[in-house]
Amino acid sequence: MSMLAQLVVTGVLVGSVYSLVAVGLTLVWGLMDIINFAHGDFMMISMYTVFWLYALLKWDPLISLPIAALVAAMIGLLTYRLVIKRVLNAPGLMALLATFGLSLFIRNFAQFLWSPNYRFVGESILSGKRLIIYDVIVGIPQLVAALGSIGMTLAVALFIKKTKFGKAVQATAQSREIAELMGVDTEKVYMFTFALSGICVGVAGTLLSGIFPVYPESGAMYGLLAFVIVALGGFGNIWGAFYAGIMIGLAETIGGFYLGTQFKYAIAFLIYLLVLQFRPKGLFGW
Amino acid sequence: MKKLLAVLVVLLSLVVLAQEVIKIGAIFPLTGAAAATGVKIKYAVEVAQEIINGAYPEINLALAKSAGLPNLNGAKVQFVFADHQGNPELAMAEAERLIRNEKVVALIGCYQSSCTKPASQIAEKYGIPFVAGSSSSAALTERGLKWFFRIAPHDGMETVFFFNYLRYLNEKYNANIKRVAVVYIDNEYGVHAALMVKEKIKDFPEFSLVADVKYPVSATNVDIEVQKIKAAKPDAIFHASYIGDMTMFVKKYKEFNVVPKVVLSYCGGYQDPQFVVNLGKDADYFAGTNATTPALFAKMPILSKINEMYKAKSGVDIDGPTLEDFASALVIAEAINIAGTTEPEKILEVLKTHTFEAPYFVSEKIQFGSDGQNIYSASVMTQIFNGVYEAVWPEQYQTHEPVPQFPDWKKR
Repeated sequence: MSMLAQLVVTGVLVGSVYSLVAVGLTLVWGLMDIINFAHGDFMMISMYTVFWLYALLKWDPLISLPIAALVAAMIGLLTYRLVIKRVLNAPGLMALLATFGLSLFIRNFAQFLWSPNYRFVGESILSGKRLIIYDVIVGIPQLVAALGSIGMTLAVALFIKKTKFGKAVQATAQSREIAELMGVDTEKVYMFTFALSGICVGVAGTLLSGIFPVYPESGAMYGLLAFVIVALGGFGNIWGAFYAGIMIGLAETIGGFYLGTQFKYAIAFLIYLLVLQFRPKGLFGW
Repeated sequence: MKKLLAVLVVLLSLVVLAQEVIKIGAIFPLTGAAAATGVKIKYAVEVAQEIINGAYPEINLALAKSAGLPNLNGAKVQFVFADHQGNPELAMAEAERLIRNEKVVALIGCYQSSCTKPASQIAEKYGIPFVAGSSSSAALTERGLKWFFRIAPHDGMETVFFFNYLRYLNEKYNANIKRVAVVYIDNEYGVHAALMVKEKIKDFPEFSLVADVKYPVSATNVDIEVQKIKAAKPDAIFHASYIGDMTMFVKKYKEFNVVPKVVLSYCGGYQDPQFVVNLGKDADYFAGTNATTPALFAKMPILSKINEMYKAKSGVDIDGPTLEDFASALVIAEAINIAGTTEPEKILEVLKTHTFEAPYFVSEKIQFGSDGQNIYSASVMTQIFNGVYEAVWPEQYQTHEPVPQFPDWKKR
């Protein structure tokens, strides 16, 4: 029983971080209908930001968090200005190919700058700390990452739902032309959405940097899982992405433990395929 | 005038002949998940190229004394690098490209056994030699290929070495090791290593296999894998993992307080010096086979010189897999030199019959058996103490006594 409880806790912790990566993606894919293949690579850049601030200035990842989020936001902004804006009115495949190229560029440029070595943020306020509750071990870095993810998701969801700018984002997602006719500056909306997506993935990268190696391909698997989670949760649905992330985390840990650890991602992808058979718009899509 | 012209033509052709460049393909993971290791191997192969093409009389190696290959009028050797990104299909395509377009006369590579396998099939198809340095899957030399040779000990040999080491710990230190777990990445390297454990454990009846934990390539976490290992309560864990995943495992062992007696690693992540850099004190007491260790440099002056040249490029000490790929570059160049030609059949004959001097290995020699496996493959068991890889077994190479019990993580 304690093993099952341990697996559930691990699944929720792992899934919450997946969720935050996916929330960033659902903003640009679900709301703006742009597939950003470089999303995982933005996360990698934020992880490097945290690593270098730690290696050179001995900054703790939690202190580096605003800077890493800002860097990822800037990259999101630049991606919009230099890449997406130019292909916005072209067929959807163009944006997809452009971001795929951008992803390759970012990874190889990171390798060129920082070598392909695997690096870790060795010491932090949280590292090595853990809670033991009735034989269930909870790593504090994972717990903080999960709480940070929940907090960030909540903040983004509230921002999109409650603020005027958030409503402009929703309006643009429904119809760009009509939103423009209503006086919405869609250019700003796109730019801001990309920056917000960057902030989400920047926070996720920071929270992960203490528990996952930093290397040029760090974001690859997270990026891939984020695509699955967004589709599973329903395009553009922030809470949908969050719940789907938790679901994938639980499927990975519980399914992987009992059916074979080598199948843990296969189980997650199988659930995704099955759900799409019955609900093509995802579990929480409309 | 005509005579003068004839002399000039002869002289010019001699110069051209002397400056002939012999191309050898070198396929490694220069980008992708294993790029950290691939780039280090590239540096080592570049050092081998410098030694072959330059004159280093202070290094007592066959091709170091004079510049170029002496039996081919000082012809220079050029290693043409290709990147397989850890993708077997790309490894195959690059092998074909190097042979057809670059006209390489031999191939070396590919670090990951899953890539070495298809690339060497292409070499077989075209009838040119392929010398693998560090790829350790035993399956590679079980295919009956004519043109394939391997320097590193294969995972079957390593597995027997592991069990003999455990037996030594039980006999000498009364370690009472009985329960063994194997943890491995889901690719050619890991799967075959696990297969060897299941096969060889039959010859060591005092041990039982209590857990078989396979994890996906590019895993985002290893939480459940470590929970499975912990539930099995093994005394010894055999790891077939690369640097990124191996580091994640150590962090999780600490978090979940997994305290086995020994953790032994196949040729992979443990041998990468970055393992110690990333983990600091947490890397202590982990162990694994290694073709070399910095602790041996003082005892082996040629290895020490090679390391000096390598470290100037890479910034780190040479490790076991990197040294094995360095050796593959030297061996193929020496085989071409002894053959005195780039004709594949003649190079093949040399590779099959010659014993190559390798004073940078503890075995000091390389000779390939009828299956292409180096019969002198020799590693030492190393264990990390205070961030240093020490040789712990066999006793004749020992620089530190082994510790057959992990201390509790809290007491480090």
